[in-house]
Order: sequence, then structure tokens, then C-alpha cells
Amino acid sequence: MIDFISQKLNFLKAVALATYKEWSAYRTHSLVSVFVGPVYFAVQYFIWTAVYGGSNSLNGMALQDMIRYFGASALIGYLVMDFADWNLSMLVHTGKFLTFSLRPLHHRFFALAQKIGHRILGFFFEFLPCLVIFVFVFQIDMMPVYPFYTLLSVLLAFFMTFYVHYCLGLLSFWFVQSSGIRSVFNLVADIFSGTLIPLVFFPGWMQFVQFFLPFQYMNYVPAMIFNGSYTLGGVTMEIPVILCIQFCAVIVAFLISEILYRCSVRRFTGVGA
Amino acid sequence: MKRFFKIYKECIHASVTSAAAYRADFILSNIITLLYNILLPLVTILIYGAGRSFPGWGFYEVLLIQSIFTLSNGFTSMTVSGILYMTMGRVKSGDYEIILLKPMDPLLYLVFTSFSLSSLGLIIGGIALFTVAVVHTGIAGFLQVLEFIVLFLSGTAVMSGLWLLMAALSFQWVGNSRLSEIFDSLQEFGKYPLGIFPKIVQGLATFLIPVGMIGFYPASALLGRTEPVILWFIIPAILFLLLGIFLYHYMIRLYKGVGG
Repeated sequence: MIDFISQKLNFLKAVALATYKEWSAYRTHSLVSVFVGPVYFAVQYFIWTAVYGGSNSLNGMALQDMIRYFGASALIGYLVMDFADWNLSMLVHTGKFLTFSLRPLHHRFFALAQKIGHRILGFFFEFLPCLVIFVFVFQIDMMPVYPFYTLLSVLLAFFMTFYVHYCLGLLSFWFVQSSGIRSVFNLVADIFSGTLIPLVFFPGWMQFVQFFLPFQYMNYVPAMIFNGSYTLGGVTMEIPVILCIQFCAVIVAFLISEILYRCSVRRFTGVGA
Repeated sequence: MKRFFKIYKECIHASVTSAAAYRADFILSNIITLLYNILLPLVTILIYGAGRSFPGWGFYEVLLIQSIFTLSNGFTSMTVSGILYMTMGRVKSGDYEIILLKPMDPLLYLVFTSFSLSSLGLIIGGIALFTVAVVHTGIAGFLQVLEFIVLFLSGTAVMSGLWLLMAALSFQWVGNSRLSEIFDSLQEFGKYPLGIFPKIVQGLATFLIPVGMIGFYPASALLGRTEPVILWFIIPAILFLLLGIFLYHYMIRLYKGVGG
């Protein structure tokens, strides 16, 4: 058992390191975020400062909480960002997935290792510079209320984003062209993950539905835990409770990805390989 | 000039034929673009739905700004945006020389050949939003409509300038697919009433990178909220377009053809 885990960890380390090195060649791509992130944040900062005016609270959030929410949301985005769907789709289309079906490892594990390597790069070239800008230029207190819970929630969001995007990538086995579906999904995810606006601004029924969809677990939950409280659809929860729900959601997403994977690979014809 | 119109007409015809050949893809991509339209006023809808507002601006007035922004974006996406993707792709693969060998100005050639109907959804969405907004806000008067048209064209010039600047940078920053994100982020300042931003940002968005001209100033004109001095603001917009054209031509000279 120990040998098995050790082998897996060695494999994960090797793929993550290779991905890190590969993408390091394109680190200026990541550095675009150092400009884009703060600009989007500045727009949100001014919008919400104007909207709040002199009032203290809006939908249960004070202006300071709102600003911290958008800062946290942007930073979490850099840590959990995923393109496993695009990658898998490309492998299926070109037929290169064939090489993975011949390897003695699950492709999902390989993709996860790739994501870890890619996001370590994101941590250094996107997360840290933006954090410094938020703290020192915008003078925002970016210390989480519960650092441990926030870290745990971000980790779960990392896996949630991965499994959801992986499932999306698996659609490439079923559709000739899945880019349209992936675009629609990204649009819906943008809206309901809470990156544009906290979900508490949506109508009550729409907030309630989010408990059964994966989107809020990808960004809204960790951003709210960062702020120290969680409310959605009129339901206020203790942080450990929503963390447990987030954990269950990740398990469900993992199981769905496994079932979908088993159904999908049967359809692979390797055309173009 | 007649020759240019003839070429452009042929290119538009080719684009329509191509869209007709891949009907499903064309319809789906336009539906997605149309859906993306919903995203722009979503934050505004939710803010006003929560009983708050941008100081001094009603919901439909903000919607008017955003609809005009969408329209301008739609027109430039249809006519100019392809320049970025064609330049980026050809510089990366090293076969931009093919364009340089054509018996006409490379920029003009790209404008003609990159015409795309895939942004039709953006224009349709923009027109729908614009109609809804105007029905509720009304129009200040005939002169204001003329002023709006002039400012709208200036805003489209700014948007075109942004696309050209991006395309020009792609000569130097080869294959950076995130280049457009930089300019997308700057455009955010043009989607909301400029008054909510600090004076320095208002100045930058009016004179340096005049994104305020894309949606805010044309909407203000239509609502009769502008002073005659506004027409002077057209100058930075035109200069911005000229800068884009100049920089693009300048960057062509730096093209090395690596990999071609």
C-alpha cells in the first residue's frame, strides 16, 4: 500500500514538475493577470463604493466585506483555474488520447497532476503579485477570518473545479464539436460561481437551486468562508457545516466523473491518432 | 475606391457563404454570443433589483450605456476584430509574408478578409437592449440624435483602435492568446457611468484611452446630458484610431518571419 502511494506521489511530482517547467516558458501569459486582475478589481471597487454610497449594508454584506469578497474571489480564481476540459477535448479530437489509454494510469490522475503543476506556476506569477497589489496598492485587508477553513475550502474548490471541467471534457467523446457546450458552461459558471457578483444578490429560488449545482463550491463558498460567514438562499450556516457540504459535493463530482469516464472511453475510436 | 468596395463586397459574400455552409455552428455561436449579452447588464440588473443604483443614473439609463457599448463591440467584432486573430495566427506560424505579398495595403487586406458574421448575435442583442432602454428613457431631441451618431462613430473608432493596438502588439508578443484580456479589462471602465470613477480615471477614460466614448458619452448625448464641449472629445477618439493604424504599420516593419 505504501509502495502504491509512494509510486503515485512520485508520478504526480514528476508530471507536476514537467508541467510547471513547460508552462514556465509562457510565464508572461500568466503575468497578464497581474495587470488584468487589479484592473477588474479596481472597476468592482469603484462600482460598489458608488452603489453603497453612505449605507452600511446591502444584502447582509458591508462595503468592506464586498471589497474583500471580490479580492478573495479573484485570488481564489488564480488558485483553482482549470482547463482540463480543453486539454481532454484536444486529446480526443487529435486522437492523442490513444496514448493515454495504453498507459498504466488513469488519465484523470495525469490531468490532476498537470493542473497542480500549472497552478503552482499560477501561485507564483498570478496569485502572489495580485495579493501584493491588493494589500499594498488598494490597502485591502486580505487576511482570511478563518485561515485554516479558508485553505481547506480553497483546496476543495480546486478539486471541484477540476472534476467539473474534466466531466465537461469527457463530453468530447460524445460530441464532434463540444466547444459550444463548453462556452455555454463557462458562461453559466461565470454567473453562478459568484465571480461576477455575490450569489446573495440573485432571486431567492435561484440561490436555493445553487445548493444542488456545482458552481457555488468553485468560488462562492471559499470566498464567503474567507469573509468569515456563509449565507445563501436565506440559509446561514456555520463554516464547518458548509465545508462538509462542499466536501460531499466534491465526492459526488468525483463519482460522476468516474462513471462518465467509464461510459465515455468505450466510445473512443482513436480516429486521427 | 471602386475596386476596394468590390473586394469588400466579395469578402462579405464569402463570409455569408461560409456561414451558410456551417449553419449549425453559425447559429450556435450566435446564440452563445447572444447569451453572453445577458452577462453585461446582469450586475446592473441585480444592483437595481436590490434597490440600489449608480448615483444619478436610472436603471434604463445605465442599460442604454451598456447597450451602446454592446452595439459598438458588435460592429467592430464583425469588421475589425478578425485582424487580431489573423495577425496573431499568421505571425505565430510565420506566414504573414503571404499577406505582405498581396497587391494592397496589408491592414486593408485584413479588414476585408476578416469580415465575420459570427458577431451578428452581439449586434442583435445590442439592438434589443438599446430598444428596451430607449423606450423607457426617451430621446432628448433631434440634435441629440445627431450628436449621438457622431459620438457613437467616435466610440466605434476607439474600439477599432483597441483591436488594432492588440493586433500590433501581437507582432512583438508572439502567440500570447491572453493579449485581448488586457484590453477587455480596460474596456470595463466604458461600461458604467464615468461619474462613479475618480476624476483621474474619468480623465484617462476620456483623453488617453477614450473608452468612455464607446458607451457613456453617446448615451449621455441621447439623454441630453452633454454640453457642446463634448464634441471636442471626438479628437482623442480619432487620434486613438490613428495611433492604432500607425502602430500596426510600424510593427509590420518589425516582423521577422521566424518559422515561415
